Amino acid sequence: MGFLSIDTGTILFTLLNTLILFLGLKHFLFKPVQKILSERQAAVDRTLQDAEDARTRAEAAETEYQEKLTAAQEESAEIVRRATRTAQQRSEEIIAGAKADAANIRQQNEDELRRERRRAQIELRSEVAGLAVSVAEKVVEREINPADHARLIDEFIESVGDAE
Amino acid sequence: MAVPHFLTGPEELEVSGAKIIASLKIGSFTLNFTETIVLEWIVIAVILGLAAFLTRGLRVKAVSKRQVIAEMAVEAITNLVRDTMGARWLWFTPYVATVFCFSIFGSLISLLGLKAVTSDFSVLLTWAAVTFVIITATKIKYGGIGGYLKGFADPIPVMLPINILSEVATPTAMALRHFGNIAGGGIIMALVYYGLANVSRMIGLDVPIFTVGIPAVLSLYFDLFSDFMQAFIFIMLMMVFISNAGPADDAAEGTS
Repeated sequence: MGFLSIDTGTILFTLLNTLILFLGLKHFLFKPVQKILSERQAAVDRTLQDAEDARTRAEAAETEYQEKLTAAQEESAEIVRRATRTAQQRSEEIIAGAKADAANIRQQNEDELRRERRRAQIELRSEVAGLAVSVAEKVVEREINPADHARLIDEFIESVGDAE
Repeated sequence: MAVPHFLTGPEELEVSGAKIIASLKIGSFTLNFTETIVLEWIVIAVILGLAAFLTRGLRVKAVSKRQVIAEMAVEAITNLVRDTMGARWLWFTPYVATVFCFSIFGSLISLLGLKAVTSDFSVLLTWAAVTFVIITATKIKYGGIGGYLKGFADPIPVMLPINILSEVATPTAMALRHFGNIAGGGIIMALVYYGLANVSRMIGLDVPIFTVGIPAVLSLYFDLFSDFMQAFIFIMLMMVFISNAGPADDAAEGTS
């Protein structure tokens, strides 16, 4: 055949061969490789989606913990506030009690003191009376009727008391 | 000293087309079965064998080296088609790969001393004709038959013969460029072998030792480089012409 001949048979067979190679390459190379590539793409997409989900969950958990932490902080502050208030109340009560006690004790002491003074006055009075009687006996050199005696003393004391 | 014939080198140089193995006569029509077709079968077997070997035991994870090569090849040709033609032509990728592989391997078998498939003009004409059909179909698809026919009278009716000529010239030029480069390279290499064998004979050597090594340097360009370049140029032109036959990518997305 000539160098630059155009041969119908060659053209037809070449067309057929090209079609065969086209289908063969599609079947043996492109289809399996593209299948693998798309599977890998799907796997990558899935991994990315999983990571995205995990991130969303982590963010939600973080928000939740943040809220819980804030709530706990508020609660603890409330507890401290309440405790402070209670303590203050207690201290005020204690101080008030102490003041009342002190007042009571002072009152008792004052009463005691008054009674002591009263008793001392009475003792003093009777002693003064005895003293007066003996002085009077000495002066009068005679016995006085004890009843008169007592009356006289009382009068005396009254007068003394008035003189005070 | 008797030297076997195949060792003496070429004694005469003949430039011819493919040999006819068998002929089938149907009336006045003759269907030839040529050397080229057998070589095409060999090329197809090699390419498909390689594809089957590379894609054996594909896995999503822990990929083998074979699989990496297969994936790189597929992704490279896919990206080339997407960049050159646009995303709507992605279905066309296997055909581009087919022509590319067929062209490269069909040219490279000349390294084995066989006749390059692509040095048969009928082969290139077939691929160019397919390209022409796709170009025409694309034009009719996007412009309608009326639009396609009106395109020949564009911009003025006087241009009609020139437009028809350019329509036919597109695939013809593609086919001739590829054929000329490979066939011409083959002839040059044959001349080199022939010349070197004659030089050996002139100085009285029965075995043409000059044909060892020296042609390999030229073969680097005329076989390896040229084969790859022509295959690449052919598919690039094919993709550009076909995608230019349709509207720009954005417009097509809008209408479809």
